[in-house]
Amino acid sequence: MFSKIFTISKFTIIESLRNRLLWLSLLVVAISFGLVEFIGDLAITEHRVTQVAILAAYLRLSAVVIVTLFVVSSSVRELQDKTLEMILAMPIHRSSYYLGKLCGFIQVAAIVAVIFSSLVLLYAEPFQVLIWGLSLLLELVLVVALGLVMLFTFNQIPAALTGVFVFYAAARTATSIYLMSKYPIISHTTIAQKFMDGFVEILTWLLPDLHRFTQTEWLAYNTADWSLLIPVLSQTLIYLLLLSAIALFDFYRKNF
Amino acid sequence: MLRRLIEKDRPLRDVPLPVTIMLLLLFAVQLAWHSQQAPVVARAEDLPPPKSARTYVISSFGEPIATSKVLNLWLQAFDNQPGVSIPLHALDYKVVESWLDTILELDPRGHYPMLVATRVYGSVSDRDKQREMMEYIFYKFNENPNKNWRWLAEAVITAKHELKDMKLALKYANALSKLATGPNVPYWAKDMKIIVLEDMGEVEAAKILVGGLIESGEITDPYELKFLQHKIEVLEQKVSNIRQDVDK
Repeated sequence: MFSKIFTISKFTIIESLRNRLLWLSLLVVAISFGLVEFIGDLAITEHRVTQVAILAAYLRLSAVVIVTLFVVSSSVRELQDKTLEMILAMPIHRSSYYLGKLCGFIQVAAIVAVIFSSLVLLYAEPFQVLIWGLSLLLELVLVVALGLVMLFTFNQIPAALTGVFVFYAAARTATSIYLMSKYPIISHTTIAQKFMDGFVEILTWLLPDLHRFTQTEWLAYNTADWSLLIPVLSQTLIYLLLLSAIALFDFYRKNF
Repeated sequence: MLRRLIEKDRPLRDVPLPVTIMLLLLFAVQLAWHSQQAPVVARAEDLPPPKSARTYVISSFGEPIATSKVLNLWLQAFDNQPGVSIPLHALDYKVVESWLDTILELDPRGHYPMLVATRVYGSVSDRDKQREMMEYIFYKFNENPNKNWRWLAEAVITAKHELKDMKLALKYANALSKLATGPNVPYWAKDMKIIVLEDMGEVEAAKILVGGLIESGEITDPYELKFLQHKIEVLEQKVSNIRQDVDK
């Protein structure tokens, strides 16, 4: 079983290299570097903090977009080229295929996280960059798993991409929306408002707590330490297993 | 490589004539349509009031610090709109202050808004606007004296040299000496009151203040003690000069 998982993950990485994912990541790094140096010229104080804050936010979002695009487009191609059917016709468990793809995509995400963190090293403390980079990797792991779930559910690139981005945006902002609904400037007691407040609270229970991940504050004000990674790692493990269970549940039910 | 790129496609003659004509025709239509549009005129826009800090957090996918830095740069450059340059004092300072508050709410550790309040919006030629910004700095200082002391120290200088309002400078210097008591606040900032009093001609009051500070035992920094002792000597010299002038 492990050799099959290893083979599938190996070919996923080879595909990423053939897809010029590495070059795309380096291009994003080059664009980010130019952007951040330009921003540095505009800032009249807090030069480094301004640069690193904007760079970190930009790289974080770029990493999510790149990894999502790669996961969804590469898996959809396998579905449409009937490669998946050919693989499943061999004595391979569907779970082995899923785990192989997941491991391969996680390694691709790790490459992206390392490349992006290397640029941040120019503007922030190495230890803070290490924590930030690890957290970025864990965030990308969830994005990879989410991409696979959306893909098995929708089978279409636009729907799967929309699903991932909507879910990601909701997970990133759910806590802020919840705080806004819990402490409104003008309190409402209408049924509609109570329904919305309840809905937002349910969302915070169901979505991963992404607002704790990859915080720009760590790089800007050197506030990160190892203990911050414990809740991030725990949330990643729990949600990765949940997403994997959803993906496998859906995958085992699919007819090709 | 160029040749390979050209030869990769089929020759131009393979494109049907109607398609080529349609391409050229529609290109001409686009140019004609653009020529009929009203010319774009540079128009200065008023500074809009900010949204709540939470709105910015949500719209940036939970990146308050990065958003605050982007807003800093946007606000700083607001006087330079495409094709128009607005004088800073023409901005509505109440709106500017609410922007600075929002930016500080997004990144409470940041100093950027205080710096632009002091050196950009507080350095305009309009004295009323300048005074308004100094009051804003004073207000923010009172919220967090040990963080914002240096901006109020700059406000003392502005009040003294640009606004020529010694009473205002004394009010700020007084607040500095009373509230900015953190270990990170240097003695020159805490002791600004002495300099202001001295400049106001209140040499005796300044001397009493310096003597009181030394005797209180609160000052342990040897450099600050040295500075104050030197100040006492200078003030005593000034008092004796004044007395000699009166005797004459």
